[in-house]
Amino acid sequence: MSALPVLAPWAGRSNGRDRHRIEFRGVSSGYHGKRVLEDLSFVIEEPAIYVVLGPNGAGKTTLFRTLAGILEPYAGAVEIDGIDIGRHEARTRLQYLSHIDGMPDGLRVEEALRFYATVEGVTDREVERVVRLLGIEELRGRFFSELSQGQKKRVSVARVFLQERCIYLLDEPTSNLDPKLAREIRDLVLALSRDDLVLYSSHNLFEAKEIGKYVLALRGGRVGYFGLLSDLLPAKYLIGIRAEGAEGVLAVSSKRGDYYVQELAGPEEVPKLIAELVAKGLRIREVKEMENPLEDLFA
Amino acid sequence: MTDESVVLLVARTPTLTGTTIRRTITVGWRYLAIGTALSLLLAFLLLAGARSGSAFARTFPLEVPLFAILGSMGGLMTFTSDRTKGVFEYLIAYGVRPRTLFIDGLISTSAMVAIILGLSLLVGFGAADAYGVTLSADLVQSVALYTVPMSFAGALFTATVGMIWASVSTPRTGINSPIGIAPMVGIAPTVLVLVVANTVPPSEFYYVTVGAAAAIIAAVVGLLVMSARLMGRERFLSSL
Repeated sequence: MSALPVLAPWAGRSNGRDRHRIEFRGVSSGYHGKRVLEDLSFVIEEPAIYVVLGPNGAGKTTLFRTLAGILEPYAGAVEIDGIDIGRHEARTRLQYLSHIDGMPDGLRVEEALRFYATVEGVTDREVERVVRLLGIEELRGRFFSELSQGQKKRVSVARVFLQERCIYLLDEPTSNLDPKLAREIRDLVLALSRDDLVLYSSHNLFEAKEIGKYVLALRGGRVGYFGLLSDLLPAKYLIGIRAEGAEGVLAVSSKRGDYYVQELAGPEEVPKLIAELVAKGLRIREVKEMENPLEDLFA
Repeated sequence: MTDESVVLLVARTPTLTGTTIRRTITVGWRYLAIGTALSLLLAFLLLAGARSGSAFARTFPLEVPLFAILGSMGGLMTFTSDRTKGVFEYLIAYGVRPRTLFIDGLISTSAMVAIILGLSLLVGFGAADAYGVTLSADLVQSVALYTVPMSFAGALFTATVGMIWASVSTPRTGINSPIGIAPMVGIAPTVLVLVVANTVPPSEFYYVTVGAAAAIIAAVVGLLVMSARLMGRERFLSSL
């Protein structure tokens, strides 16, 4: 997004910024006495995107709500920069995007953003900035309830950029968005992650793999895996090749839809295989990964 | 984020009451308009039909609270909508206390009542004067001791019951809001007073009406106390 450096003035800054820290110590949390998260402990302090993954019901939203100070833990402690999340000072360091739009009824888009600007304590100038940043100029006069799901998500995401914070909790920020806008949002989030801590949940594993540096996988309310995404080595690396003239060169039995599936030791073998196939006269139209190592975290 | 900017952010959470009232008017304007219109229609019908003024003096103060309760539903609608659509989730994340959200719902309900009452009494009394009906001390006393307190108490009772209901229930398709049944629950005490007040001797009229208003106010206070224990912050979150 070319306008990003102007519209998001904090993006790209790396000097003179304080490092921040999220700490969960033995946290159990949930709803109405029923525990969804159980004895969760981890520390996050390196600026990066931490992809939060897990099957439905694993506790992703509960994790975000607990970290945002919305849910009070039944046990343990949540701290931001050493400050208990129950304190207002801790909450003002983070920005939260729920999977629900959270836009008030009875307000037009611009009014709704001003509503949150008031809550954030920022001026209308910031509203103007995020309207341009998210490209929602044409929506500003419309009632939120009249918008499509994708438009609602754009407006909802705009709120995140009203105020610069150092920790961003983004619960499915690209759901319901078309690919182009999803890409723009991911670029914005990547810019944030240069200096800030970003927790990002998504059901799109290819997106998660593309932007995440770390993975925090929840399983049954506990940490199933927490580490570098690059450390998640796939058991096998499958690529799909869509090509003309593949009969006789690639086994038909390996075909899934339009793609001939090839098993390789790793991504490094792809160029060599492609070169060999081209040498054999294949006209390759597309090559793509057929499986994602993150899928194993859902098993 | 520098420490200096963090300090600047640690300001008192801004009040949203004014915005909530404006939104309540936008969301519930139909209820507001119908409640006010029906109340005024009643006044004109009573004045045009009786002429003597006694029917107006006895009936108008008793029935205005019904329309005030119905017309103030915007407060409950806004609360329910904010909860379902995740607005409360954001506000709590920003540091707004759940209790404040509850109280804002009651304040905006009261604001709707004030609008209906103000218009109804102003236009109703103005019309009575135009019709040559004397505004007796009894009429003024009825309005002061019953109409005004019962309108607020009844509307707050409806809103409180509805907000607790909305918060403790799990949204289901077609039954995700208390808006449909809350007005009926809310006007029940007022209807009861209407029935009882018309069966007691005039000497007991004030005891019944004022006693009923006091009982509803006590119920509202009781519900508020109870809600403080019932309404944990997860009650304010959408289950969508």
